[in-house]
Amino acid sequence: MQLKNNFTVAAPVDEAWKVLLDVERVARCMPGATLDGADGDEFKGRVKVKVGPIVVTYQGTAKFVQKDEQAHRAVIDASGKESRGSGTAKATVTTALTGRGDETEVSVVTDLNITGRPAQFGRGVISDVAGKLTDKFAENLAAELSGPGTPDLGPSAAAGTNGAGGGHADETPAAGSPVGGRPAGAVSGAPSAARDDDVIDLLGVSTAPVLKRLLPVLAGVGVLALLIFLLRRSGAKS
Amino acid sequence: MKPSAFEYEVPESLDAALATLAQLGDEAKLLAGGQSLIPMLALRLTAFEHLVDIGPLAELKGIRREDGFLRIGAATVDRVVGRDPEVAASVPLLTKVTPLIGHFQIRNRGTIGGSIAHADSAAEYPTVALALDAEMEVASSSGTRTIPADEFFESTWTTSLEGDEILTAIRFPVWSGRCGFGVEELARRHGDFALTGAVCGVEIGDSGEVRRCAIALLGMDSTPVRASPAESALLGRTPSAEDLTEVGHLAVQAADPPSDLHASSEYRRQVGGEMVRRALRQALEEAAR
Repeated sequence: MQLKNNFTVAAPVDEAWKVLLDVERVARCMPGATLDGADGDEFKGRVKVKVGPIVVTYQGTAKFVQKDEQAHRAVIDASGKESRGSGTAKATVTTALTGRGDETEVSVVTDLNITGRPAQFGRGVISDVAGKLTDKFAENLAAELSGPGTPDLGPSAAAGTNGAGGGHADETPAAGSPVGGRPAGAVSGAPSAARDDDVIDLLGVSTAPVLKRLLPVLAGVGVLALLIFLLRRSGAKS
Repeated sequence: MKPSAFEYEVPESLDAALATLAQLGDEAKLLAGGQSLIPMLALRLTAFEHLVDIGPLAELKGIRREDGFLRIGAATVDRVVGRDPEVAASVPLLTKVTPLIGHFQIRNRGTIGGSIAHADSAAEYPTVALALDAEMEVASSSGTRTIPADEFFESTWTTSLEGDEILTAIRFPVWSGRCGFGVEELARRHGDFALTGAVCGVEIGDSGEVRRCAIALLGMDSTPVRASPAESALLGRTPSAEDLTEVGHLAVQAADPPSDLHASSEYRRQVGGEMVRRALRQALEEAAR
């Protein structure tokens, strides 16, 4: 499925482009993800996705596969596998910048494909979840692109980061403490402060949505039909 | 398939349960009736290292009338809710929807609190809680709080309960005056999750005009949906049959129904409108008696 996000940032296009190419900063825009390492254009990490009682952790990599300086267009390919299960998630994120004087229009198009067990909830849930993920990614990216250095990590950034690199250990948790008019969210001065590997409660208001691997889409209509049938039938009612 | 291995704990009191939950965090899941959780575990859609069974806790059971409200303990099983005379007298909508919940085996174990905390949009109890502006009593090891229904249901299977909180009771406001209630839902087979449905309550005045109205939809979005514009459209009117059809159409516009294996969104919208119409008619007829 395809998801689109558009926003404008208060930075000229060349500045915005520089930030877009910074792997660590872009990776940090994925709230709830833990960055395990970055190597040039490629970064490894984990993302935990929660939809009510369903919790799925994906492990994988993401990397820049295209950087067009002239057109200010970058493409990131991300793929991950469920750490417990056989599902996968793949996303191709295409970001394009258009300069408008002191501002830049940013467009983010995400092509998403998911396989595996947890996704047989029908298109409604997946696109709902995927939408919230990309919305939050876009929001964080907007904050990142708008200002120097200080990332907007969103409300779920809790203390006790566990990702790569040292830097500041504490991210101010929650409750939106905006800095300098930036959108509300926790602010951390640490350039490499990775997100906590807490469960990202995608559909909850308290967590910062992250470009988590979207729920795997059931591969094979037969399995989908069977599982929906079983889940509904076996009285998944309390 | 069987669930992944887990530790099973039975706390002796609510406080003990809260302490365990606070201690175990994400690795623990509350178990009450298990009618939603166990199938998910068995299908390995999810797994938890600890299941904390609060089903037997007496502190979470009981039905009592309190000053304009009916308070129902969260671990009260559906069957008990459905057969209780106090419930029938104070919140008849609960009595009406209970037989529609799954099959009797499910109702014998499933709990009203479990259903509401699981927050499936096609479930009857969450929809009734939303329609009637119920209040959720919630406890954690740091205290208690009350969450109104319109702030409780956030998204698919997601409520505003924090990870260390337990829903302890639900308080349903009791309607007075000439009121009536209705429920109508469509499922392909008896006991299936409804594809679409509506619950409603009306209170009418002396000349049959609607003084109060509540309409909520199930299976029509990621959470139950309150059809507020449709409710407003009925106030002060003595609706004709055509009026009810019109209100039905208006009601479903409040929702964004999904398309899935069972039904398209267009189908849900169309049939949903009819469910609202029938539920309203039931409610109005009952109120007029």
